[in-house]
Amino acid sequence: MRLSKVTFRYRRRDPLVIEDADAQLAPGDMIELTGVNGAGKSTLLRLLAGLARPSTGTITGRPPVVGFAPDRFPVSQPFTVTAYLRHMSRVRGGGARWEPWIERLNMGHLLGTPLNDLSKGSAHKVGLAQALMAEPGLLILDEPFAGLDADTRDALPSIATEVAARGGIVIASDHQGGLRGLPGLRHWSMVDGHLKEGTSAPPPVPSHVTVAVTVPTGDLARFLTRMREDGYQARRLRTTIAEGATAQDTDEPAAVETPDERTAVEATHGPDRRAPETQETS
Amino acid sequence: MIALAAFRLAAYVRSHRVFQALLLTLALLAILNGSRAPRGAEASVLADGAVLLVPILAWAARSLLDTEPDRQREMSAIQVGGRGREVASGLLAAFATCAGFAALGLLWALLLGMTGAPPPGLLPAGVVLYAISALTGTALGALTSRAILPSPAVSIMALLLGFLAMLLLSATSLYWLTVPLISWMKAANTGALLGLFPQLAAISLGWCLIGLTAYAWLRRRR
Repeated sequence: MRLSKVTFRYRRRDPLVIEDADAQLAPGDMIELTGVNGAGKSTLLRLLAGLARPSTGTITGRPPVVGFAPDRFPVSQPFTVTAYLRHMSRVRGGGARWEPWIERLNMGHLLGTPLNDLSKGSAHKVGLAQALMAEPGLLILDEPFAGLDADTRDALPSIATEVAARGGIVIASDHQGGLRGLPGLRHWSMVDGHLKEGTSAPPPVPSHVTVAVTVPTGDLARFLTRMREDGYQARRLRTTIAEGATAQDTDEPAAVETPDERTAVEATHGPDRRAPETQETS
Repeated sequence: MIALAAFRLAAYVRSHRVFQALLLTLALLAILNGSRAPRGAEASVLADGAVLLVPILAWAARSLLDTEPDRQREMSAIQVGGRGREVASGLLAAFATCAGFAALGLLWALLLGMTGAPPPGLLPAGVVLYAISALTGTALGALTSRAILPSPAVSIMALLLGFLAMLLLSATSLYWLTVPLISWMKAANTGALLGLFPQLAAISLGWCLIGLTAYAWLRRRR
């Protein structure tokens, strides 16, 4: 597959989103695409997938079977996970099988769930399953690790490796560095619409980042559940009652701005797979 | 392509959007055929029903195409093997929907709208007329769907104004510049429907084809 002098703009007089992109992709290539927001990563992925045509230049040699997993799966559809994947399998034709991906992506418990009720990470898995079901020759993943639980995050690099070992091309736009460390991984970066290939890996991304979020106490359970469903380790830190009341577990100043009771929680996401902590310290 | 059309039809039904157009169709047919027309007015019954169904069919086609989220439309294009097939399957699903509603309209007119059976030759002409109505609705609905007109307000205005423009233009001597809806009704009222049928059908099919081609052309990059 080859990109020759590819430029792209959305409308005739719009500025160029992608300028003079040249690249060669060979069977078995795995590519990590990085760049700041708005640099043109998603546009490049759409061009590679054949969803958009270059304004000038050509893209040739695209494999006949393309798998595309979007960064945000469209959940506003009146289907359960099973019904949706069954329909997509029929649309693909050629014996595309979604069933094997249920176990690999750890989504057996989601089969009867309406798409509308899925959490972000669960919906993302459905997007991955539909992209992988037909053994794609070109697999395009837009932020594939976003919101995934730890097990699936760990499984995804080996799935990408399998696709590449079969002769497929894998290209992933990834801010989280989930594919780093894979042998032979190529690094592309989009800088102001220009595609550049790096010879060395970008600096490693910290494996853990911890943030503190202050939420009203009434929202605590729902917030923690949502974070844990999305694969984050979330725990309660302290409860503070403002406006003269006694603060509980307040070694540090509480980030409370209104006179109601609020709770600070901590969320972490990374490869460390401890069981979710639930320190109820109040 | 058939599987993708079936997927879209299933989404249209399961989202319950189908009931919006169905209820409107039933209300229109109940009013149109509230009392049986006398003998000799069979052609008018069929033509009036086919013409007045067009905006509802266009709405149904637009609604079906808009049921699918934009992102899913992109994924569907990849799954089915290209934008061209995705566009064709959407039109197929929209036409199937319109044909279903048009068939309901035709059956209602035949069973409850007229006294006795239609004269020989009128029934086949009526079937083609309702098929043209379904095709017109498909083209108008597709051209006003979200992929072409993202704003819902602009889209619904374009649909209604498009239908009104067809009515107004086809009432003039320039009727051949659009699907000649009023000409169909006039021909039916004056007993000239079967005589003018080939000419009016050719003009109608020509404009439907132009509308559908325009939709496919506009969808190249959307």
